[in-house]
Parts: sequence; C-alpha cells; structure tokens
Amino acid sequence: MLAEFRAPRRRNRVHEEYEAPLPVTQSPEERSDFRAELINQHVLVRNPDHIQRIYNQGYFGKGILSRARPDHSISDQWEQHKGLCLPVVSQSRYEERLKWAGAALSAQGLDDEAVSQILTKLSQPVEAEDVRREGPQPEGGVCPHTKRLRLESQDLNLSSDQDPDSDPDPGSNSGSDSDPDPEPVVPGPGFVLVDCDGDVRSTDSESRSGSGLQVRELRHNPVSVSEYLQLSVEEAFFLVYSLGCLSVHLHQEPLSIIQLWRTFQSQCPHFISSYAAYHHFRSKGWVPKGGGGAKYGVDFMLYRKGPPFYHASYSVVVERVDDAFRDTALRPFSWRSLAALNRITANVSKELMLCYIIYPSDLSEVELESPDCLSRLKVQEVMVSRWVSSRERAEQDDI
Amino acid sequence: MAERNSTDSAESRYSEILSPSELFAARSRCHKIPVRGQKDFFPNDSGEQRQRLEQSLSEHWSLTSEERVERLGNLVKATWIPSDQVVELQSPAGKFWQTMGFSAHGKQYLLPEEALYLMECGNLQVFYKDLPLSIQDGYERFLSSNTVSLLQYQVFGHLKRLGYVVHRFDPSSQPSTYARQLNLPQSRDKVGRQPKRKRSVSPTPMPTSSRTEKQDSTTEMMEVDKDEKDGKPPESHLMTSPETLEVQCSATSTADEDGGRTWWSGDVLECKESNHSTTSTSSSRWDFSSIPFPDLGSRESLSDSLTSPDPSLLPGGLAVGVCEVATWRQKINLRKVAMSSKEQGREDDRRRRRGDVNKDREVQQCRNWTEYQELMARRQSRCDGRPAHLWNREVTPLHDPRQPLPTRELLEKINVIKSTNLLEGVSRLKESDEWGIRFSVYQPDSVAEFKKSHPGKPYSHMCVCSFDGPVPDLRAIKLLASQTGDVPVVFAVVDYGDVSFYTFKDFQLPVDVYP
Repeated sequence: MLAEFRAPRRRNRVHEEYEAPLPVTQSPEERSDFRAELINQHVLVRNPDHIQRIYNQGYFGKGILSRARPDHSISDQWEQHKGLCLPVVSQSRYEERLKWAGAALSAQGLDDEAVSQILTKLSQPVEAEDVRREGPQPEGGVCPHTKRLRLESQDLNLSSDQDPDSDPDPGSNSGSDSDPDPEPVVPGPGFVLVDCDGDVRSTDSESRSGSGLQVRELRHNPVSVSEYLQLSVEEAFFLVYSLGCLSVHLHQEPLSIIQLWRTFQSQCPHFISSYAAYHHFRSKGWVPKGGGGAKYGVDFMLYRKGPPFYHASYSVVVERVDDAFRDTALRPFSWRSLAALNRITANVSKELMLCYIIYPSDLSEVELESPDCLSRLKVQEVMVSRWVSSRERAEQDDI
Repeated sequence: MAERNSTDSAESRYSEILSPSELFAARSRCHKIPVRGQKDFFPNDSGEQRQRLEQSLSEHWSLTSEERVERLGNLVKATWIPSDQVVELQSPAGKFWQTMGFSAHGKQYLLPEEALYLMECGNLQVFYKDLPLSIQDGYERFLSSNTVSLLQYQVFGHLKRLGYVVHRFDPSSQPSTYARQLNLPQSRDKVGRQPKRKRSVSPTPMPTSSRTEKQDSTTEMMEVDKDEKDGKPPESHLMTSPETLEVQCSATSTADEDGGRTWWSGDVLECKESNHSTTSTSSSRWDFSSIPFPDLGSRESLSDSLTSPDPSLLPGGLAVGVCEVATWRQKINLRKVAMSSKEQGREDDRRRRRGDVNKDREVQQCRNWTEYQELMARRQSRCDGRPAHLWNREVTPLHDPRQPLPTRELLEKINVIKSTNLLEGVSRLKESDEWGIRFSVYQPDSVAEFKKSHPGKPYSHMCVCSFDGPVPDLRAIKLLASQTGDVPVVFAVVDYGDVSFYTFKDFQLPVDVYP
C-alpha cells in the first residue's frame, strides 16, 4: 500500500527569488564551466561568479563563513555617505582589522617599522572622490537595504584555513559593469565607514540621521576576508558527472570523472550508496541537503525547490541492501533508535524516509570503480510513521 | 474471579457469592477514577505535600485492590478443550458474540485469546474439569506457541480494549497474486466497478501498414472500463480512434447476440457480412469502401498532415484534429545515400582542400607523435569548448551543458537509477518464520454492522514484535507486503506491556519540476 504524498509546507516569509532548478542554462550562449578545488579533502569553489551561479541555481553547497548562503560581509550595517553606500564598522573592530593586517604583513617577513608605516598609511582617511574614482567594483558589496546582491570576494593572502599555495583568482578583480543600484554607488570591498567615536551605536538608521555627534570616516578596508563555497562530495560529483558543468582541480590539475569517483570513494567509505541516493533525489527535481546529521540525525533533508522556499519535507536515511534485500547495515537500527528518530522527525514536522539502495548480486568490485555501476542500482523508498491506536475513533483516518 | 474470604468461612469457603451487605457495599462503590492532579517536581518536605501524596497513593491502592463483582447470570460459562485449543461455550453467548467467536458442529466456540480477554473483562467463566480457571490459569494455559504468544496477546488485548475488532489473520482470505492480477471484482467493496479486461492483442502486424488496422481494431477485445486504458500495444500516432470504437461494437454485439461476451465471433460476423452504410454513431456498420485509410508507407509524396477523420466515425463527442506526419514519414523508407560519382569527387576535393597539415606552424613545433595528439585534443576541445579531462576519458558526464534541454527532459536524462517498489522481486524470497501477520484489525466504528462471516476489508494487518528484537529489514517488509494485498501492515512493538505501532509504507517520490 502506498504512502500518501503530503504537499510540502511553504515558508511564511520568502526573501529570495527562484532562479533556476539547476546551474545549466537553457540558452546555448551562456557558459556553465565552473571550477572547484579539492583542498584537504574539501571541495571549494572560489570564483565569486561561480559561487553565485552554483548556489542560486540549485542550492548546492554552503558558504564557509555563513549559515547557508555565502553572504558574509564585513558589517550588517550599511549607510549612505555622500552618495556612496558603505558598510559601517565600529572603531574597535576597525582597529582589530588593522591588527590582522599587521599580523599578515609581519608573517610575510616585513619588520615592525615597515609594518607600522604601512598601517599608518592605510589608516588615513580617504576622500569620497577617490572612492568614486575607483569606480564601482564588480558586484558591489552586500547591502542589506536592497535585495541581496552578489557578494564580492577579493583574494588577499589571509584566511588561515586555506592552503598557503592558494593563488589569488585573477578573474575576480577584473571590472565588469554590473552596478545594480543606480543611485547609491556601492564601491568595492576596499572601503568602509568607521564610526570614530568608539562607542557602539544602535543600528537603526533613523536614530543616527539627526545626531550630529557621530563622525563617519571613510577609510580603506585593511583586511578583506573572502568567502568560499564548500560543496559536499555528493554535490560535487553530481555537478561533474550528471551535469558536466563543474571541474574539480587537485593541485591545479583537473581530475577526470573516474579519478574523482575513486578519490571520493577512498575519502568516504559509503560514498556510492549516499551518492546513489543523492542522484536519485536530484533526478526527481528535489533538493537534498546533507549536513543534517548533527541536527536531525539523518543523512539528507529533502527540500522542494530549495531551502528558502519550503520547509524540508522529508528526512532521509540511506541504507544499503544486497540482492536478497538483507541489510548490510550502514547504520543498524534498533527499535529504540528508530523510535527516537521518528520522534525527532515528527517534532520538526517532517516525515522519515528510509532509502534502500539495492545492489545486484553480480556487481563486481571492478564495476564499482566506475560510476557506470549506478545504472545497475535500484532505489526503494519506504516511509516510516507511527500509528496511534487510541486516537479518537471518529477522527481516525486511514493509516 | 478471586475467592472471597467471607465471614461464614466454614460453609462458603469456595463460594463466590456475596452476602447482601457485601453486595450492597460493592454496588455503591464510588466509580470515580482518582484524579491525578498537578505534578510536583521536587519534594519540599511540607506536610501538605506528604498528605497529598499519601492520599493519592491510597486511592490508587484501593482502586487496584478492588475485586470485581459480577452478576452470576451475566457470566457465560464455558469449558476449555485443550485438545483443540478452543473454548466451548456452555451457556448462550452475550453481546460479544457479534464480533468474537465462531460456530462449529452446531456449538459455539471461542479462541483462547478471546476467552482470556473476556475472562479479564468479567464476562466469561471458563471451567476445566469442572473447576473454574483463574486469570493466572488462563494465562498459563491459553497462551502457548500453538495459539498466541504473550506478546501477541498483549497487543490483542490493547486493541480490543480500545474497541477494535481483532481477528486472527487468515492467509487464505487474501487473494493470491494471480487473482490480484486478474483483478477480480471484490464482492463487498467495489460493487459498482466493472471488471477490467486486459486488452488482448490481435495477431496482426504492427500498424505501419494502416489499412488492416481499423478493421482489426473492431475485432479486438474491447475494454469496458472507462478509466484510463492500460497495456496498450505500441501504436503509431494514427491510432486516434480505434480504441475508442469499443463502445459501438460492444453495443452492437450485445444488442444482436444474447448478451454473452462473444466479442470475437460476433463482431467478425457482423462486420464482414454487413455492407450497409453507416447510419448513426451508436449502431454503426462500417462501410470500409467509403472510409478513407491514408497510406503512410507509399513513396509518393502525400501531404504532410492527415486531415481529421469524419466525426461520425468517432464515438460521440470526440473531435480529433489534424495529424502531423512529416517526422514519421522521414523515418520510414530510409535508405543509404548513394552518391553519384560526381558527388564522390566533390567530397574528395573538399577533403583535399583543407591543406597540407605540415604547413601548420603549431604542428611543426610538435616534436613527436604524442605532442601532435595533444595539440589535436586541445584544438578539439577549444572548438567545441568541452573540457578535455571530462569528455575525452572513459567515463563522460551524462549531460553536456552546451546542449541545453528543458528541465523535465534533463531530469529524465540523468535519471539512471531506477526506483523499485515493494512488490518487486518478492517471488524470489522465501518465507520467514520471524515476521508474519498475526491479526486482522477492523475499525471500531463498524462494530454495529460487523458480520463475522463477511468481515470485509480489514483496516490493517498487525504484526507483533518485541521492543528488544530487531527492526524489520527490507526483506521482511517486502515479504509482508506481498502477503497483505492492499491492506497496510502495522508493526506492534511491545515493550513490557506498552505497545507502540509503526508502519513502513512503500513510497514513490513524485517528480517535481518547477515551473
């Protein structure tokens, strides 16, 4: 008997617009060649254009400095200052960033005097005309007053969690003429407004407009932290294999599909099963997001259209079975753990789904070395739900 | 029924009959269940709290130590027959007979779990060798591996106390897979539905030759069911009307013959012998000389579209538009292109004019054959722009982003992993003793019109397991799904008397394409 399909629940407030289901275009002129790097067993996309395309069209990946969408910016507070829209940071934060810049310069081998010279020069106030002369940098900054714009990402050699050999991406600094706001010019990440009196002010713009005590100084941004998009192994492989739009580079060498498959397999022992499930859900048009392990105890959460639009409908646990449908127990369940998982899932108004990947008996080791084995696997979805026997009989509907 | 130590113990030691005063006391007991009240979360050593606790404890204690008092006349007497493992009623059954028990050899019997349940309710008194059995005796004797186990009885009791009707599962009452495939009409439920007949394919060649097509369709077995048609043989686009002809011919045959389903003979005879012109849409005898049949296979150039057929040939209300056949026509009669000698010569010239490969500067820079091949590969990837490391290896991506597709087709293209359903592959599996359906459960609301002889479709099938036991794996779920038909299977998990119910249901995630 088939479980009935319940329609997904819309979120109350939707801030985003839906661009496209997948980052491949319908028009042949636009190119979809994205580039990612495999660094320390993580797949990272660094080019800001690519980050935006990949995330906005299909909700792949997660920004490393953000909760979901890569929208890290220097400050949450943006202000208009002589026709420019700039982020505002407090004096203490500005000094903190100066110190970071100093530390970076010292790490490069400069002596203290040189460092302090550079820093003094850097912290001079800047005229607005200089900023305007520089012109609107590509993609502006993240300005919360307007719709969420594209995020800039300028590479400086900071970001301690990157490899030291990460070279700056040459493409990001070249200017393109994207200036989304006609009136306030949003300059690039090189400039901030510093709140000079050192106190922490309130954040609504209304309270500041009338007060004459606050002085805002336009300074250079000493340190710019760039944010990358991190893709899980399933997402990366899907983009490479199924859509053909991503290339993963290891030490500047692009990896072929088979190499990528084997690399991921050695990284994650159950890669094939979880990738098969991911591929299956994507080919049905749903958006599976991993990383729900710590929150909900499951492998994937399935979203319709994407996380900003609907609440997740299903929590998926992936199981592997052999030809006789016996478990090979990726994660053996007891009634206790199943009951607990069921409770958690019900508490967050989702439905628990077990996804069984059925491996035929004649699948050899050799075949598993290539992604062609995927067409031999089969997927069985089973819904787990709890039936309460004592519910009011008049209201009871079918199980 | 517990024995009561009455005051006159000498004569009534084994008597359970109460004296009048005792009876009065029992009757006038307060029937209120003690209210639990608000919970205190930590002790605060106050006299008030202690008093409240003591009072509620004593209320509970007195409630649980109450002895049940029943009218002797209401007690149905029965005897336990261990050889058959059933309980035979000696006095007429009460209201419970509507949903429990069975008749055999002119006598009324109860199953052991039903008997035990009624004993606990206080409606039944079971004797064995002329001595009444206590509840403990009942548990010991009635529950065994031949009847039901303790776990199963706990589930049984739980459901019965909530009002459900619970019967032992009878595998023979389930239609076999073959019967299900035939889709025989169910007697009780689907009364109004007409049985589906599978379409039998007439032994004619596949319809690229269209002339014989319309004739044969009238002689095929028609489907009466007006819902969507299943299992149509692959047809060309031309088959606009044939399968909808069924109503006419069925009408004719039943009208002319004596209502038996003699589709084949009736129609063949009629269509062949009659040569009248078509009168009306409902009772038509086809005049094939006047109905035009387009010939797609002919080499002469016909128009690229077929005009719509005469509405009088189609069943009422159906309007069919013009049919485009250009693409199909291209696929018929394909032949190898035979180039004349002049064309061959032109091809050769074209190839020659591409110039001498050695004059290319980049080629001159290649020092060996490997470098030349790499140069070619680079040029190749540059002109079609596909990254070489993806496309020039053994495994290529499933989709080329340079050939855009609409989303739905793209999703179908990358759908290489097939989904399956629970009933697939079940025939390979052997039965297992561990997991089996034990009970059929019926809705409590249907108690009023419940008939034991025709219970109808159960609300669910119950499978009992222990909380400390294993969770059913896919194998078990599939086996049970095959045994159950279209009734959901519920797993009753017993944890020392507490029962929870879980279901594992088949599911097919729908394809979601937006927009």
